[in-house]
Amino acid sequence: MAYDKPLPVPTREDRPFWEAAREHRFVLPRCRECGHVWFPPYESCQRCLSFEREWFEASERGVVWGYTLMQQPYVPGYRDELPYNVVLVELEEGPMVYSNLVGVPDDEIRPGLAVEAVFEDVTEEFTLIRFRRAEEPSGRDRT
Amino acid sequence: MSDRSFAGRTAIVGIATSDFRALYGRDPERTREELATHAIRGALEDAGLEKSRIDGLVTGGTSHYEPIAYRAGLTDVRFVADYPSAGRMCAVALMHAAMAVEHSLANYVVLFNSVCFRSQQNRFGYSSGSTGLMYESVYGMASPGAQYSMAFTRYQHLYGGSEAQLGAFALAFRKHARLNPVAIMQDELTLDDYLAARYIARPLRLFDYCLVNDGAVAYIVTSAERARDLRHKPVLIGGTAERANFREWYVDLEFWADACGSMKRDLLDPLGVTTADIDCLQVYDNFSPSVLWGLEGFGFAPRGEGLDWIQDGRIELGGELPVNTSGGLISEAYLQGWNQHAEAVRQLRGEAGARQVPDCKRVLYWCLSALPNASLLYADD
Ligand SMILES: [Zn+2]
Repeated sequence: MAYDKPLPVPTREDRPFWEAAREHRFVLPRCRECGHVWFPPYESCQRCLSFEREWFEASERGVVWGYTLMQQPYVPGYRDELPYNVVLVELEEGPMVYSNLVGVPDDEIRPGLAVEAVFEDVTEEFTLIRFRRAEEPSGRDRT
Repeated sequence: MSDRSFAGRTAIVGIATSDFRALYGRDPERTREELATHAIRGALEDAGLEKSRIDGLVTGGTSHYEPIAYRAGLTDVRFVADYPSAGRMCAVALMHAAMAVEHSLANYVVLFNSVCFRSQQNRFGYSSGSTGLMYESVYGMASPGAQYSMAFTRYQHLYGGSEAQLGAFALAFRKHARLNPVAIMQDELTLDDYLAARYIARPLRLFDYCLVNDGAVAYIVTSAERARDLRHKPVLIGGTAERANFREWYVDLEFWADACGSMKRDLLDPLGVTTADIDCLQVYDNFSPSVLWGLEGFGFAPRGEGLDWIQDGRIELGGELPVNTSGGLISEAYLQGWNQHAEAVRQLRGEAGARQVPDCKRVLYWCLSALPNASLLYADD
């Protein structure tokens, strides 16, 4: 069946992010002038407004900040997944990203869980970055 | 600290709200202009003011200010501001009306918000398009309620507290609504009912969410001096405050502690008003945790102890700090904070009937959103 969930609509602002994801690389933008790392990948630095950004390979690791279990069909294509989790992950590099946890039963999801990225090729063109429980406890499991 | 030198120099002199309960049945031909016109007429009657005196117009909820100005026959307008229909704009609109009056840009400003969410079958919660939203929707994330839900799991992780404890908000607001004939929700709500209701975004349930309805609220702002010549005891505008920390994840990672602290310093401290001086709260209950975090942020409840603090009737009429005495957005109607301001005026005039807070002198409003804002109204003594 055709993929019927929302898909990214890349622009010059974030095309490098989605192209890297397709290659199963998790890249983040970093300011060449002040070193700030941000997400979503706007063209300019949120701290100093420089447009000189570079892309670097992220650690792919983070910690769950909070989660919710979606129980109503708000989002096209997600009806058959109900209920499903959405997590807000605080990356080791600092930025927060929304995603889903895979392979973790709902009643084991909790803030503070150490997680690592997994790459899911949802279409020929797009790969989404989701997270699973970190295989090696990094000692960063924290509140 | 901001300069609040015009505190008490402007006033709300006329209010009107729709019969939200009567409007709860869908009517596809109902318009926001029609509801707004009703409310404006009601606010003029309440103030005892001739329409010809209106020279300022502040709109919310309509697609444009002109259609309502035609219907209301406003032909001598010197100040117009047009806001989107959003809760975060409620105290902002009030502030701009008060500033216009204070600086003689207009003498009598009529403000309203008018919504037809139910008749027009608005679907809330999903949108896509901007870069930020796209990074949510591809993962099935949608709706402000889900954001508050996510933050509530974080809050529970840090401080504990149960879903049943959170239910104290829904139960209190429903009790109050049952004393308000125009409130939409009139059935008794027990804790068992609350817990048996479906989850929307777990751990938040149906009765943690505001209503989706039609209706309008209007009020008239003028100077305190002019107000004293009108029908009712003036309700003075102490001030308003905003404090935004714009981040992509909508909810504040510290549960709006900085925003509330900042608004308290800007709004209450210059007037020498403390939390102990507030007689009741009429606050933005889009989702019940929002009220919890405001109680902690403004210092009514100790940080992390809000869920314990709200138990045993403390926030109910007759309790230490009645909250949302008309039923709030969860049980009266979702008029995006405008109905909270109307209820504040009724309480400060002593006109709230069965739900009157005795000797009510000061009422605080807040809305914790992407653009947090707050207001203080007080009685003219
Ligand atoms: Zn920079």
